[in-house]
Amino acid sequence: MLSQISQISLAGYQEIFKNSPVAMLIMDINTPVFTILDVNDAYLSSTNTNRQTLVGRGVFAAFPANPTDEESKNIERAIFSFEQTINTKKPHAMSNYRYDIPVRGTNEFEERYWTTTNTPVLDENEEVKYFIHSPLDVTELYKAGERERKGAEALYSQRQQLYSTFMQAPVGIAIFKGSEYITELINPPLCELYGKTVDEMLGKNVFEVLSYTKGLGFEELVDNVRLTGIPFRGEGIATPLFRNGKLETAYLNIVYEPFRENNGSISGVIAVAIEVTEHVNAKKAIEEAEERSRLAADAIGLGTYDLNLLTGEMVTSKQFACIFGFEDPVSRAEYVERFHKDGLETRAKALEEAPKKGKLLYEARVIWPDKTMRWTRIEGKVYYNTEGKANRVIGTVLDITEQKKAREEQQKLITLVSNSVDLMSVLNLDGSNSYINEAGRNLMGYNTDEEVSAVPLTELHAPEMIDFLRNEVIPTVMEKGNWSGKMMMRHLQTNEIFPVYKNTIRIDDPVNGKPINLGVVMRDMRPELDAKHALANSEELLRNITSAAPTGLWMSDEHGAITYVNQSWIDWTGISYEDHMGAGWLKSIAEEDKEMASQKFLKDSTDRNLHETEFRINHADGTIHWCIATGKPQYCSTGVFLGYIGACVDITEQKNLQQQKDDFIGVASHELKTPVTSIKAYTQVLERMLKKNGETKEAEMIKRMDGQVNRLTSLIGDLLDVTKINSGRLQFNDREFDFNSFVRELIEDLQRTSEKHRLVENLAQTGVVFSDKERIGQVITNLITNAVKYSPNSDKIIIRTSVKDNEVNLSVQDFGIGISKDKLDKVFEQFYRVSGNMQHTFPGLGLGLYISSEIIKREGGRIWVTSIEGEGSTFCFSLPLKKLAEEL
Amino acid sequence: MPKRILIADDDPGILDAIGIMLEFEGYEVKCITNCASLLTMESNFPDLLLLDIWMSGTDGRDVCKQLKQKTSTNKIPIVMISASKDIQCSALQAGADDFLAKPFEMDDLLEKIEKYI
Repeated sequence: MLSQISQISLAGYQEIFKNSPVAMLIMDINTPVFTILDVNDAYLSSTNTNRQTLVGRGVFAAFPANPTDEESKNIERAIFSFEQTINTKKPHAMSNYRYDIPVRGTNEFEERYWTTTNTPVLDENEEVKYFIHSPLDVTELYKAGERERKGAEALYSQRQQLYSTFMQAPVGIAIFKGSEYITELINPPLCELYGKTVDEMLGKNVFEVLSYTKGLGFEELVDNVRLTGIPFRGEGIATPLFRNGKLETAYLNIVYEPFRENNGSISGVIAVAIEVTEHVNAKKAIEEAEERSRLAADAIGLGTYDLNLLTGEMVTSKQFACIFGFEDPVSRAEYVERFHKDGLETRAKALEEAPKKGKLLYEARVIWPDKTMRWTRIEGKVYYNTEGKANRVIGTVLDITEQKKAREEQQKLITLVSNSVDLMSVLNLDGSNSYINEAGRNLMGYNTDEEVSAVPLTELHAPEMIDFLRNEVIPTVMEKGNWSGKMMMRHLQTNEIFPVYKNTIRIDDPVNGKPINLGVVMRDMRPELDAKHALANSEELLRNITSAAPTGLWMSDEHGAITYVNQSWIDWTGISYEDHMGAGWLKSIAEEDKEMASQKFLKDSTDRNLHETEFRINHADGTIHWCIATGKPQYCSTGVFLGYIGACVDITEQKNLQQQKDDFIGVASHELKTPVTSIKAYTQVLERMLKKNGETKEAEMIKRMDGQVNRLTSLIGDLLDVTKINSGRLQFNDREFDFNSFVRELIEDLQRTSEKHRLVENLAQTGVVFSDKERIGQVITNLITNAVKYSPNSDKIIIRTSVKDNEVNLSVQDFGIGISKDKLDKVFEQFYRVSGNMQHTFPGLGLGLYISSEIIKREGGRIWVTSIEGEGSTFCFSLPLKKLAEEL
Repeated sequence: MPKRILIADDDPGILDAIGIMLEFEGYEVKCITNCASLLTMESNFPDLLLLDIWMSGTDGRDVCKQLKQKTSTNKIPIVMISASKDIQCSALQAGADDFLAKPFEMDDLLEKIEKYI
């Protein structure tokens, strides 16, 4: 081929090459550099380059890859094409591939599309010497084609989307054409809404298909839209539809739009429908629920409020006001005033924390104007605005006074149970413990809560009780509701088996009456048994003591009937225990004392006096014994008289000794009197003889001797009197006598024997008494001689008589040593003598005042003394003045 | 002619002392210690009898009763003497004309004797 064109010069070819309108680049085959050997102007022009920057450089160094275009892989594609050309020795073309061109002077690239031909140039050996790279810039062409393709694609995709949207729209859409409203297009949601299939709808008169909607005004609505072009919108329109095999009312939000042709004429109606039945029903339900809750709130005393936190304004229900003691809602401030001051802090704290917690909850008391106190519980939910700031609290207030009370009651019960000394527990029906109180834990030896729920019943009972528990106790409880009785339990820690009294009850569900739990109350019987033992022991001991006591013991009831006698008494009398009961005891009393003993006891019992009596009893061996019976009235803790507990002591021995003593003193006194009588007789005769002989001095001495004999006689008389008093043989010969003149006689006589003391009479009118004159004289004499005896340092005795309250009084006042207060009561006792360091200086047997007091008492009078130690004493007695009326 | 007084007592000391006393006052005194002789007394009656109540083995009141029942002796004044004041009543009931308790004042005795003689 070269030979044929050889007539054109090389330069000519060069010119042709240089000016060819086809861009050309001649490149070496030195892969992968591909050095640019030459380039023509068209190429330079189309690539914005110049010869100097290209020739001699590798093609990829001259045209680096656009870093923003990774996907076209232009370098690899170019190399591939180059190598195809070299290897196949045939031209290779690439169409519409992207190879961006750098914009000169910048780092920017210009997007370019190329259609390139690489043509090999062979040498004489048919080897590729170099190749011509000829790119055609097809950027504009490519881009135009690209746009067209994309436009078509977009159009298609848009239509697809529209249809898809139409079909899949969550709203029902349909196009009804013409005045017959033939369904031309309808999407599944609307079909579903109508309860029809697409096929049932398409191509048919919609009103014919949905026959129940005919004549309800829908035709007029769509006619109006089709004729006027004015769309219709309706919300919650009740539409009767036959769906799922039944006719029901659906609520629809409906839009009817006119369907316009391209020329603007209206050929049908587009219907858009959404079912809002559920929404409507829900709304209705909400309204009803609100109404119901309002009614419920009223019924259960639930007040409601809506508090605006920003303004502090609060809207409350009537019930809210009622709970706070208002008739109608009032301002928030007025409500706050009703709170009990103790609750204000709690309230403030709750309000402060509410925005953080999202809810409000506190309990506080409110005080009504009538001072009624009510507990309230305020609850609320906090609402926030878009900035997250709490702006509203809506909630309720509940009167929980009753609840509080119930809770307090419950708390009390719980406290009671917790502090009970008896075990109290609640068992689940499977036998595990769900609750056990502290006492129970201690009793059974539980250490931990886990043990309480984990330890089975069998572990808690004595092994031999298990069968009984299973076969008897539990069935009985389940069947009859309770079981109680003795049970042997086992301590979990010590394994000790111990007796308890157990009460098990079935706890039923209050609603359905089914058993839900078992309740157990258990009392440790050990202390009780110990106490019983101790009691039995002490009873035994007491019985032994009472039986062994050498004393009769007895008890009587409130009516004076004997209820108990001890063994000693039975042994003494030989009469059985039973025969002593009631009034039977009198059988053992000696006949002569029976009446007295019976009367005395019944009288004391009636009067609740301390009982004391002496009587004789017949012993089983036939002997008679003296007894002194004493008894103390018994009262129960409320003060009711119960009877007597008493004792009988055998005083036979003492009686005998007393008798012997009295007998002895009596005999001794009597015997003493005989020689005294002789002595006195001799003395008196001797005195007279001496007087007759003129021996005055001797006679006087003998007279004094007679005085001493009189003293001796007086002492003997006292002893005799005492024995008579003790044996009850003191006799009185009562007669009338004038008291004052008798007193005067006595004073006169006594004054004669007293040289130092002056006996001062101070006698008021008294009158006649009826008494034993000699015995009364003995008393007065005793009082005056005592007064003289115990006032050695004074010289005056005052004797007074007077009448008061139908009694004659006599008093003897001395100014002697007196009697200390603690001894005052004792001076009238037998053998009492002035005690202390002066005792020995005062003579006497200590019988005078005892005899005097006995005489006065037996004559129906009283005797007493007042005294100040160191200042003197006044002894007084009084006697009944029987003849006073006559005297006056 | 001195008045004759019979004293019956079982105690010789009493008999002696009262005897001396009455003789000193001019009475003729006879003493006995045995009551039995009183009841068998047929003549030579005393002008007054001083009779002790308690005599060994015999109750003076019984003797008094018997003497007062016998016509021969029922005119004899009897003054009973006893160491016990309490039996005055029973003595008088037994028929005694008077009673005197031992020990007594000499003047009291003489007064009573003079009263009956």
